[in-house]
Amino acid sequence: MTTTAPQPTETKTLPSGRVVAIAGPVIDVEFPPHALPEINGAVETDVQLEGGTVTITAEVAQQIGDGRVRCICLKATDGLTRGAEVRNLGRGLQVPVGDAVLGHVFNVLGEALDTDDIGVVEDRWDIHRAAPAFDTLEPRALMFETGIKVIDLLEPYVQGGKIGLFGGAGVGKTVLIQEMINRVATNHGGVSVFAGVGERTREGTDLWLEMQESGVIEKAALVYGQMDEPPGVRLRVALAALTMAEYFRDVKNQDVLLFVDNIFRFVQAGSEVSTLLGRMPSAVGYQPTLADEMGQLQERITSTRGRSITSLQAVYVPADDYTDPAPFTTFTHLDATTELSRDIASLGIYPAVDPLASTSNILAPEIVGDRHYAVARRVQGVLQRYKELQDIIAILGLDELSDEDRVTVSRARKVQRFLSQPFNVGEVFTGLKGVTVPVEETVESFEALVNGDLDDVPEQAFFNVGGAESVLAKAHDLANS
Amino acid sequence: MAGGQERILRRRIRSIKSTQKITKAMELIAASQIVRAQGRIAASRPYQDGMARIVLETAMGDWFSAGRLLGTPDDVSSVLVLCVVADRGLCGGYNSNVFRATERLLVEKREAGIETRLVTVGKKAQGYFRFRGIEVAESFLGMSERPTFADARTVAGAAVAPFVAGEVDQVIVVSTRFLSAGSQRIDVRQLLPLADPRNEEAQASHEDEPGVSRNIAPDQAPDVKHGYTEFEPDAAILLQELAPKAAETAIFAALLEASASELTARQRAMAAATENAGELIKKYSRIMNRARQETITTEIMEIVGGAEALRAGTHDDEGGLVIQTTV
Repeated sequence: MTTTAPQPTETKTLPSGRVVAIAGPVIDVEFPPHALPEINGAVETDVQLEGGTVTITAEVAQQIGDGRVRCICLKATDGLTRGAEVRNLGRGLQVPVGDAVLGHVFNVLGEALDTDDIGVVEDRWDIHRAAPAFDTLEPRALMFETGIKVIDLLEPYVQGGKIGLFGGAGVGKTVLIQEMINRVATNHGGVSVFAGVGERTREGTDLWLEMQESGVIEKAALVYGQMDEPPGVRLRVALAALTMAEYFRDVKNQDVLLFVDNIFRFVQAGSEVSTLLGRMPSAVGYQPTLADEMGQLQERITSTRGRSITSLQAVYVPADDYTDPAPFTTFTHLDATTELSRDIASLGIYPAVDPLASTSNILAPEIVGDRHYAVARRVQGVLQRYKELQDIIAILGLDELSDEDRVTVSRARKVQRFLSQPFNVGEVFTGLKGVTVPVEETVESFEALVNGDLDDVPEQAFFNVGGAESVLAKAHDLANS
Repeated sequence: MAGGQERILRRRIRSIKSTQKITKAMELIAASQIVRAQGRIAASRPYQDGMARIVLETAMGDWFSAGRLLGTPDDVSSVLVLCVVADRGLCGGYNSNVFRATERLLVEKREAGIETRLVTVGKKAQGYFRFRGIEVAESFLGMSERPTFADARTVAGAAVAPFVAGEVDQVIVVSTRFLSAGSQRIDVRQLLPLADPRNEEAQASHEDEPGVSRNIAPDQAPDVKHGYTEFEPDAAILLQELAPKAAETAIFAALLEASASELTARQRAMAAATENAGELIKKYSRIMNRARQETITTEIMEIVGGAEALRAGTHDDEGGLVIQTTV
């Protein structure tokens, strides 16, 4: 592992400190008075471990008085002893930015993991930056077409907006985010940055290999701090990736796609170090600074002066409880949310998007058009009615419904199945080729369905297909077999 | 955090509980009424048997001149279908089974180029056929649960009169037959012309259904056959008068059996509904209890965690790290 850019030399002149206490990933360091490193500044110490020298980088989180600072380490503190020398780098954590990062995988310190040499780096930026000023923000409300029916119809994504993919364990968040990379990044004009925060290392490798296969890697940078890393890394890796994205937006004037999988791990990492930093736990044991930490990150993910960062963030929902503070705090920052539901996944419908809970703030007639809006609302209306009838059906049976309700139920079941769609990345699971449906066709197909034009078509024909035409084709096949 | 969830579930359980109370009550009411309905069927049977015997005797006397009143018509150009269902729902598949049979019959007849006219008994039929855009010539309400002979006569006015007037060639009844408390069957049968007694005899010997049978018992048939009755003025004219009366009786029998079937179906459906509601209550109670436990656990954890943090703070004499952690 090497750093390729020349380190700033003036840092050497700063006086060093000594470790006075170690508690897991958090250490206290005493510096000479008047030479305290600043908050969010980086410090370094060397550890002799199994014959080798390991450099541990840490970030100052608090100044606790008496010339002491409390730091969060970005490596395991095994072997570190009290009294060890700690160098003050006089700067914050930095990552390389610019075209040189494209095609490579980095860790939170900006070290390339896939190669020894990434070439000439244009610049290195601190990962802590101020959010763009109020007057430079650019509210845009342009739909971002994905070709996925349920998303385009019910929770259209905003170009330059923040999109959240919520879901409990194992309902398909990572698959959906990889599908989005596959669909969007491939056709995207600008660059993509992927932040792997506390997720499976294997998935990170898979993604890297896949990107190489599809060629997306040429225009993408990946920053990983996966689940094997200490909390300090998982707390900062999203910022590192975001910094790279910001450089492309502000300096290179490019549109950027930022993928974060998984933002909940960021919160979780914060909660892991919070008590060690001496803060009192807040609701459900989370850090009291939860909303602030989230705000610091999210406010930077935004579009300015004609250049956008469109971000897709996977959000793990602990125990499927959406009222948990972590997903709840994330909610407020998002423009569109896609909620993945276990009930729908258990029906075998993928993507398991909950059509009633998912929303978008651009699902309004003046942005998506009157027709799209009307169809989306009618589809939701049908599904809502079906949901209300569930208890009646469970108690009295389908026979007791009125004729109108029975039609609604049959359409709702078709709508549910029609919202499934084969994915490109899911081909290995389903054996079906991925399907892309243009938004016009999606709207038209669902309009036909809620109007009752497809009432004669059997339910199974709606499962895992594209638009209305492929429904009819599948119905034909079913009738023949 | 999950307190909201708990409240929603509690409300839901309450609503299911009151539904369960209603279904339970309906089940008991239906059960008590079945006995009475069965009694009415039994009470009307001697009259039906007598009517059948007279028709048979008359027909045997002169079945050549019976004309279009007897047997299966060869050339049918229009048919009247009488569909008997309930006024109320909440009786499982009772109504929809009859509807399906009726619709199938209507389609069949229409495809054969036969004109159909639909007369219905029961409020549910009105809604069902109107929703499907099928024209109903006449519909009768308010008699499905406890039909009287006057009701049967009113229905006959609409169903039999067109046949007598020659407007339709055939009258078919679609209803549910009450074979026993445990077994009911959808029955599609010809009401007019009256069944040919000769065929009926053959049919009767094959029929071995338990319980109610409106056919003449096989052991009675030989007596009738061998008896000799004289008619004045003659059998054909008598039959002319007798046929509508016989149809009326048959309609009354159909209504009575339908009402008994409806009650049985309702009892069964409500028993199932009560059980389903019980299961839902069980399921939701379990989820609710878990949600409540979770809330309590979370709150305890928060209090304990907070207390620990505060206590640790008071022992902080060095200003250094205070949380004891093993890595």
